[in-house]
Amino acid sequence: MTYVIASSKVGVIGQPFIVAEGVNVAALLEGGFIVEQSTPKPKKPAKTSTDTNEEI
Amino acid sequence: MATSTYLSNPLVTVNSVDLTDQCSAANLTRVIEALESTSFGKTARVYVGGLENSTLTLTMYNSFAATETYATLAALVGTSTTVTIKPTSAATSATNPVSTLTGCYLETLPIVNASLGSLDTVDVVFTGGVYSVATS
Repeated sequence: MTYVIASSKVGVIGQPFIVAEGVNVAALLEGGFIVEQSTPKPKKPAKTSTDTNEEI
Repeated sequence: MATSTYLSNPLVTVNSVDLTDQCSAANLTRVIEALESTSFGKTARVYVGGLENSTLTLTMYNSFAATETYATLAALVGTSTTVTIKPTSAATSATNPVSTLTGCYLETLPIVNASLGSLDTVDVVFTGGVYSVATS
């Protein structure tokens, strides 16, 4: 899970928020200072049918 | 004679939130608890260092606006966080060190301190945590 800055009180809005040691992330989320940015799942490769039977 | 004068630009952060513009006083005290080790034969009490138990007291203007004092502190009561303070907002250096309490605890949060004709101010006390100072 990554976080994005949503308030200028924390840093530059829109920039990724780097969590420092001891920082209470839940409190920052609750206060609206940062927002979660879910990591996009890698796309599944397209299904392709391969014919493995060789005709003799 | 050199002195440290705090005028208008110390930097105070609570849980990574810059609350400099809501803070009017800060008092950071490093405490190492004294454990008495006086034994028979001694004529004066003697002590050894125990656990660290530093405190930081901030006097803050109470603002309920979005991403201000209350929004920063409300969710921190009863939890641990990190606070920093340095004399000026300039780059951290040997003459402008940043002091940090990592893992300090916020036990109480005054919600309202109302007085007719006065701004609402609250004293917030962070206790414990590991003290460190950085000069770069």
